[in-house]
Amino acid sequence: MWLLVALIVVASVSVKLAGALVFIAVVAAIGAAGILALTWRNRPSSYETARRLDSAVGLRDRTSTAIYFGGIEKPEGLLGEQRKDALARFAKVDVRGLFPLQMPGNFKRAFALFLVAGGLFAYRIHHQPPLISLLQSTARSQLVQSILSPIAHAMEKDLQRTIALVTMKPDAVGDETQRADSASNTEDLWKADENKSPDADAPKDPADAAEGDQQQDQMQAPGSQDGNPSDARQQDSYSQSQDGKNGNDSSSDKSMEQSEQQGPEGRQSLGQSLMQALKNMMSNSPNQQSNNRAGQQPPNGQGTPQSGNSQQPGDNESDKRGDSRGNSDTKQKANQTASEGAGSQQGTKELSKDQQTHPVNAVPDRVALEASGFKEQTRMKIATETGTAQLGTGDVSPRQDAVTNGAEQENIPARYRFYVQRYFEHADNGKQ
Amino acid sequence: MTTSVGTEGQMGGQPLGQQAEFLAEKMAEVRREISKAIVGQLEVVDGVLIALLAGGHVLLEGAPGLGKTMLVRTLAQAVALKYSRIQFTPDLMPADVIGTSVVQENGDGRKSLGFQPGPIFTNLLLADEINRATPKTQSALLEAMQEKQVTVAHTSHLLEEPFFVMATQNPLEMEGTYPLPEAQLDRFLFKLRVPYPGREDLHDILDRTTQGSAATVLPVVNGPQILEMRTVVRSVPVAPHVQEHVVKLTLATHPENRDNLLASKYIRYGSSPRGAQTLILGGKVRALLDGRYNVSLEDIQALMLPALRHRIILNFEAQADGRTPDDLLEEIAGKICAK
Repeated sequence: MWLLVALIVVASVSVKLAGALVFIAVVAAIGAAGILALTWRNRPSSYETARRLDSAVGLRDRTSTAIYFGGIEKPEGLLGEQRKDALARFAKVDVRGLFPLQMPGNFKRAFALFLVAGGLFAYRIHHQPPLISLLQSTARSQLVQSILSPIAHAMEKDLQRTIALVTMKPDAVGDETQRADSASNTEDLWKADENKSPDADAPKDPADAAEGDQQQDQMQAPGSQDGNPSDARQQDSYSQSQDGKNGNDSSSDKSMEQSEQQGPEGRQSLGQSLMQALKNMMSNSPNQQSNNRAGQQPPNGQGTPQSGNSQQPGDNESDKRGDSRGNSDTKQKANQTASEGAGSQQGTKELSKDQQTHPVNAVPDRVALEASGFKEQTRMKIATETGTAQLGTGDVSPRQDAVTNGAEQENIPARYRFYVQRYFEHADNGKQ
Repeated sequence: MTTSVGTEGQMGGQPLGQQAEFLAEKMAEVRREISKAIVGQLEVVDGVLIALLAGGHVLLEGAPGLGKTMLVRTLAQAVALKYSRIQFTPDLMPADVIGTSVVQENGDGRKSLGFQPGPIFTNLLLADEINRATPKTQSALLEAMQEKQVTVAHTSHLLEEPFFVMATQNPLEMEGTYPLPEAQLDRFLFKLRVPYPGREDLHDILDRTTQGSAATVLPVVNGPQILEMRTVVRSVPVAPHVQEHVVKLTLATHPENRDNLLASKYIRYGSSPRGAQTLILGGKVRALLDGRYNVSLEDIQALMLPALRHRIILNFEAQADGRTPDDLLEEIAGKICAK
């Protein structure tokens, strides 16, 4: 039965039948040999067979007794008579009645499977495997194409994102995290990664962090104003090979180079690095979506993260404008440059009207603030007070409380923030 | 070999095969002769014949008036054996059974103690209502039944072979009765239950006993022939699986056998090895009576109840639950056969 099922499957799926047939034949031969060996090993003795025969025919143990005492060449007493009696009785037994030929219970199913297998093999003489042909024709249909193409597209993006995360070294991630902490918001985070020179170490105290933020903001301003990837590459010597890649790739590669120069001191564990990378990715993901909605713009090395974050407050309008993202980034950067440093709420207060009308969209900015100034392990400490969130570190001083309207969002894990942000975004759109 | 009614015919010197055929034929004739006087009761008659050829004794249990005494008397006539009957009563003494020493006067006038044999000195003894006698008198039969001899005044007297005791007891009368001790029960080869006759048999009984004269039973075999038949019986081969079945059956009645919860729950004393011997010997006789030369499992199953029912002693729990030896044995045998 199972061999027939296997034959049917092979005939339905396999393009080349020879190998599969040989394999099935070998399996069948081995199975038959095993069954024969097992049957031969467990075969009943002649005495046991005689017992079964007696009980089947009703010989009243004549045959078994004769078989048991059959070894005696010269039977004494009644043994000879008993042997003659057994032979005489056995001669009258209808052997055909003892072993009636009857079909096995699953004969009909096996015969049906045999017919199906034979038909499939006859079909395969001139045709492709029917199952593969069916799958191909189904895959070519417009309905399946319309269903599968978005899924395949999304899977391709996820794959690229995953590859970027995997190829990112832990050192690079650690440095990236360090620099990201020094940035005042998400835009500055990416700009800092791309514009920072390899010789510049991450600030270890709040003063250094503030200075670093200011320098990065100043260095980032021209590039963001231009919004041109080629210009950005010229200004940034560490975004050399980022053609056709997104901001994550460029920052990761640069971070790798930085980590190589810094040595093993700044290394962090892989888990922490992945955590930070996920946080960065989540804060960056709206940019990618907005880019996709903006009309398939080519990705750039530096401008994409900047423009994405800058678009968040005024997402709808900036989507329509498309090219004006760099200008909005410039305005935002200018406001933030004038602020005191990382984690300051002043920069947020100075956002444009579009941003102020959507206060929930400031969540990514606070993500950057939370991470500022940390070098070692970063952990989220959630205060018991409602709306208060703290970041605790081992050695870093600037402990800043992010208390804003809707601050309960600080308790949301980083991987869910994007969805929460999207939710409030839709709510705001509804209000508008 | 003869098929006519009578004790003629020789067994000695003939091949065992012919002797076996002779035995089967003669026993068939005995059945026919007994059936002249006894209506029905085929299993009881077969049991009695099997016990006779196996060299054992039979305990018949049944209500009064079912033909127990008639059966014994008819059998004695059919096998041409000396027959005596003892009516057991509470005041019956052992000397009344086995005999005693009495003062005898010789021909010259001198007196001496001489042994006066009791009614036990016979070939076929009917101990009627044996459970009415006291245990002292009942135990007087122990030596005779097993050793085929009696001892009086330090002198042992051999009983004449074949010596065959058929005892009857009434199960209903519990007042004034003394149940047989286990040791004496074990000496009976079979305990046969005499059932009430059926409708047809009852009509036949009425026709025979109320019309005309009683039927005459002719002798078919004699004592020496019976002894030779006993020798032929012992030469019947037994297959190992049949003997194994007998052993399993016997051991299954032992309460110490933890594998059989039924026995440990309801049985106080199991079957002795005499039970297994009875099954084998009875199976051999039954096979010869059936025209076979080997013992089959069917023979064992057919003889299980008469051979073992009086050899297992039930405990109080079995009596409280209303269990009988027969249904326990049937259940035990069913479990053994199922394995």
